[in-house]
Amino acid sequence: MSQRLPKFPFLGRLLMQLPSPLGVLPLIAVLIVWQILQKGNSPYFPPPSAWWSGIVQSAATGKLLPACLASLQTILVGMVLATAAGVMLGVLIGLSRRTARALGPLLEFCRAMPPPAIVPLAILFLGYDERMKLTIVVISAMWPILLNTASAIQRIHPILLDVATSFHLSFYERIRFVAIPSVMPSILLGVRIALPLTIVLTLLVEILTSIEGVGALMITAQRNFQSGQLYGLLVLVGLFGFFLNTVFSMIQAIILRRWPPRSIPA
Amino acid sequence: MSDPVFECRSASVTLSLSGGARPIISDINLDIQQAEFLSIVGPSGTGKTTLLRMLGGLLHPTSGEVRVNGAILTGPPEGVVIVFQDYANALLQWRTVAANVAFGIERKLPAKECTDRVNAALDLVGLSRRAEDYPWQLSGGMQQRVQIARALALRPAVMLMDEPFAALDAMTKAGLQDELLRLRDQTRTSFVFITHDIEEAVYLGDRVAVLKGSPGRIEDIVKIELPSLRDQISTRQMPEFLAYRYGLHKAIGHG
Ligand SMILES: Nc1ncnc2c1ncn2[C@@H]1O[C@H](COP(=O)(O)OP(=O)(O)O)[C@@H](O)[C@H]1O
Ligand SMILES: [Mg+2]
Repeated sequence: MSQRLPKFPFLGRLLMQLPSPLGVLPLIAVLIVWQILQKGNSPYFPPPSAWWSGIVQSAATGKLLPACLASLQTILVGMVLATAAGVMLGVLIGLSRRTARALGPLLEFCRAMPPPAIVPLAILFLGYDERMKLTIVVISAMWPILLNTASAIQRIHPILLDVATSFHLSFYERIRFVAIPSVMPSILLGVRIALPLTIVLTLLVEILTSIEGVGALMITAQRNFQSGQLYGLLVLVGLFGFFLNTVFSMIQAIILRRWPPRSIPA
Repeated sequence: MSDPVFECRSASVTLSLSGGARPIISDINLDIQQAEFLSIVGPSGTGKTTLLRMLGGLLHPTSGEVRVNGAILTGPPEGVVIVFQDYANALLQWRTVAANVAFGIERKLPAKECTDRVNAALDLVGLSRRAEDYPWQLSGGMQQRVQIARALALRPAVMLMDEPFAALDAMTKAGLQDELLRLRDQTRTSFVFITHDIEEAVYLGDRVAVLKGSPGRIEDIVKIELPSLRDQISTRQMPEFLAYRYGLHKAIGHG
């Protein structure tokens, strides 16, 4: 039963979060074949070399870097806010059946609302700016975090809550020292689901509203028939998502080192 | 004799379950003195845990009353600590052993004193070398010792223990039994100690209460008049010890 602290296995676990280099090979092969077969400059399927020149062109105008930074900022800030909101609401809903019942219908209603549908409303209230972008991203991406947190809170073992009561913890201390840490694996799972959602929503809002960001560049490229650039931006977005996901997996592995491996939801 | 620490006056607990109200324990009359070691034995399902939760202020008696130091119990009383039967769920699995032991005192004491108490408590249960491990890396018996250390670090006036040694091997169990008795003599802590092991109840107890029936009632309270300095070998061989053991087995209904 007794098990010593795994030191090396932890490093191994961290490295396991990294994608295998072999996994990229088929992708590279497809790109090479594409490049070779595509001789003429097709407007629908431009060869990868045209993607590259499209990106270089975009960078040369000085628009690419600010757009990337703007999108990245929305994604990261949105992620932080969505996590804070999701955990806070999730804890309140999970802890009190009365809150759950009172807020239930409203939450179900909000959750059922497709994010693009709230864009016009958000523009009406907040105008075309960064705040509007963030609001939509946060409101739509917090659901998986909220729901994961709430259901994990409801599943906390009653004995653990008895321990908190018996040691005279205040309401705030119960949340901070018992409830949140005991559901940490579920919170991180929620964040993990929310991360790609945040990326999608950020781009979507940028595409719909042309507020500064990679999404706005994409819609501009499409309107100007710069298909090479469009493909290039698509690859860039893919790399973005890939990179953020990998970084998050590592952070998750580091945090969850302290939790029983069994308790970590897949 | 001074005033009792705990007094139960015809206390009963009835739970309202889906199938209707169900009496769990009924008409409990019990006094617990300072520095007294009270063992409670009884078949499983008779409400021993429920009784302990009531004393710990986690459950209100539906009728009758419970007093701590003369005042009616309204919630978990100061200076009373529970060691739960279900140790795996009673520990904060994401905290190291040392941080678990500090859980009851870290918000009340300066860091230095906290560390000293944690170290002392871990030393007492023989887990100093596992201080930086996590509970899920320990065996069941070790986890239970972490929970006991967490209770001890609080330096409580009363310790309520629910079958605390059930997961321990015989050697460790004997060592901890003597440690509890020594603590009682040194610190005048009172113990309410639930066990299903009648020998253990007699060896440790100044009195042994027998809980029986459904709803559980206190069938009998036996005063154990053995020499107060108990010894694992000689005490257990005394004719009086064997007589108590026999009598309690009969009282519980083991023929
Ligand atoms: N929360 C509860 N819900 C339903 N039944 C309960 C609950 N708590 C206790 N009981 C019932 O009360 C009886 C006594 O339980 P318990 O106090 O745990 O007994 P013991 O510790 O002596 O084994 C059992 O029959 C158990 O099923
Ligand atoms: Mg029990």
